[in-house]
Amino acid sequence: MTETEQAGSEEEHRVYLARVMAEIDEEVRRRRASGDLPARLERELDELFLAHSPVAGRGGALEDALEMVDASAFIDPAVPVASKRAGGAVVKKSLRTLNLWYIGFVTHQVSQFAAATSRALHLVEERLVEIARELDAQRVPPAPVVDLPSEDAGPRWWLSDALGALSAVPGRVLHAAAGDGSFVRSLCAQGVDAYGIDPRPGRIGAGEREGLDLREEDVAVHLRAVAPAELGGVVLTGVVDAMVHGERRQLLELVADRLAPEGVLVIVSWAPSAWAGDAAPPEADLAPGRPLRPATWAHLLGPMGFTVDVQTGPSGTDYTVTAVRRRARSPR
Amino acid sequence: MNERLERGALPVPAVHQFVPALIPRDATGSHTLLLRDVLRSAGWRSEIFAEATHDDLANESLRVEEYEARARPGDVLIYQFSTSSMVADLLAGRTEPLVLDYHNITSPELYGEWDPPAAARSAEARRQLAVLARRAVLGMADSEFNERDLVAAGCRRTAVVPVLVDLERAVQDADTRTAARLARARAGGGANWLFVGRVVPPKAQHRLVEALWAYRRLYDPSARLHLVGAMPSRRYMSALRRYAADLGLATAVRLYGEVSDAVLAAVYSSADVYVSLSEHEGYGIPLVEAARAGVPVVALGAAAIPETLGDAGLLVGTSEPALVAAAVHRVLTDEALRHSLVVAGQRRVKHHSLAAASAMAVRALTAVAGPPPGAGRSGVTERQP
Repeated sequence: MTETEQAGSEEEHRVYLARVMAEIDEEVRRRRASGDLPARLERELDELFLAHSPVAGRGGALEDALEMVDASAFIDPAVPVASKRAGGAVVKKSLRTLNLWYIGFVTHQVSQFAAATSRALHLVEERLVEIARELDAQRVPPAPVVDLPSEDAGPRWWLSDALGALSAVPGRVLHAAAGDGSFVRSLCAQGVDAYGIDPRPGRIGAGEREGLDLREEDVAVHLRAVAPAELGGVVLTGVVDAMVHGERRQLLELVADRLAPEGVLVIVSWAPSAWAGDAAPPEADLAPGRPLRPATWAHLLGPMGFTVDVQTGPSGTDYTVTAVRRRARSPR
Repeated sequence: MNERLERGALPVPAVHQFVPALIPRDATGSHTLLLRDVLRSAGWRSEIFAEATHDDLANESLRVEEYEARARPGDVLIYQFSTSSMVADLLAGRTEPLVLDYHNITSPELYGEWDPPAAARSAEARRQLAVLARRAVLGMADSEFNERDLVAAGCRRTAVVPVLVDLERAVQDADTRTAARLARARAGGGANWLFVGRVVPPKAQHRLVEALWAYRRLYDPSARLHLVGAMPSRRYMSALRRYAADLGLATAVRLYGEVSDAVLAAVYSSADVYVSLSEHEGYGIPLVEAARAGVPVVALGAAAIPETLGDAGLLVGTSEPALVAAAVHRVLTDEALRHSLVVAGQRRVKHHSLAAASAMAVRALTAVAGPPPGAGRSGVTERQP
């Protein structure tokens, strides 16, 4: 075989492997949809393994770490002498007796050091708990995801426009917060490769059982794990409404980075006037931030490289922002 | 030691190697021994100076401290760099031209709290790399992935030279007792998955356990996972065992520890698929060994693995259990795919052959040590697959 022929054959093989991988991806999707291996079960594996990991891997609670320090602060110079071999225990015991004066002296000092260290760590922990308590009173809580005003009022007015905007985007579409996945279902029905996340416990259950790709995850945490320019579309419903400006800006910068050029961002938000009204959710009083006025979005997203279009809903209680990421991002 | 050429009075130039520990059946140890033979065959004088040497290799090396008395003007020194060592500090203070033969340092973060001493050693190794890279006249890297580390550390001149590895150990005469035991187990049905590598967090054997769990649930309830490799992290190993037990895989996951070449050959010969979900490989010798043994490979495309494997394996983008399980299932049930991977694997083996890598090493070293006295002699022979 000539070099050219071999290169051609290797290229064919690479194409073949890419096709096989696509078929495998499809098989995985089918298996998950059939309920053979629910995505939730796969996620629980991680938690199960973490249960066996050292303290830091389990979340690093300081109390747990201190317990470990306390448990290992005393060093026992009397080593075990049991043995499976005949006479082994006697030999080991003799060796231990011979060495105990020396090992005992060393371990006593190490134990003293460990005890002093443990005491110091406990004092630090007490002080930290006190500081944490004081800080908690002034803490700005993370913004919750809120239900939109149109959630309980029949078909959502923005649905067809959003589906149209996302029908030919250059990559997967992420919907947050996806709830039971009804919008993800609509996107998939239209042939769009879509998935959803929702940080609210128990919200994705029904859709997940149906086989939709839904995950119970925090929005920012999820986006940080996505590669740059990986997504074709991002839909944020009720996610940014209650955020303070800094948190909102950080999230949108993350979205801008994860969207491919010409990718589409759709935001559905409460209108500020409705947020102040009686129909607003309890979060309106309790959340750290408030929804932006529609016109503000162009000022916010324009410098991030988006072309922005805003539509207000028929009832005036909510509006959509449809932003397309320009090919070359303008300087901030 | 013969320090003069028979045909003249000029001293034969020397290219000596320094290594923290010379250990048999260890990637760096085997590479060091093979490189010593290559250097000598090319005509250079070459000795191995080690901080510690395994008893089985006692006659193969000298102690690091012995170099001072043997140092000659014109010596070129190679440091086999894969971990932190006092040897690095010693070489930092010497004036001979230094070549770094870099086999990668695992990120300390990948050890995390599982193995704090290993994380500390990695962090120290990074510090030492930064010092030596700036002083080195050449940085030799096993892969382009490793070469990027050298460049980032400040190495001005670099070359990619694959690890010297005798791939024949994967297909040598197998240990009969192990082979018989594995054959008996295999007769009862169930696919044999294999992974070879130290049982440490960066190799992510726990991900393999998860994938096996999914595979048994979806496709083959009798499948087994064979894990071969030293177990230096007691915490990780014990967590791995408990995790396997939690998932009902206590008997399906088999840990062998470090094994002889004959046992390794037996395990390779009984494997249906080689699966790697390792998150960190500077090269990945077992991937090539598996290809040499005709075992199809499914691997996570992380670190240097795509570079080492080329198109000789099915690369998955994530370690998601369902994805890995489906990929393995496809390889084991699609005869055309399996065959194409094995054929591509044999092609890849030629690319990583000892003869090819040896020639690259000599070429790279000639650039800094001058042509070897025996230029033109091959000295490297290899059985071809």
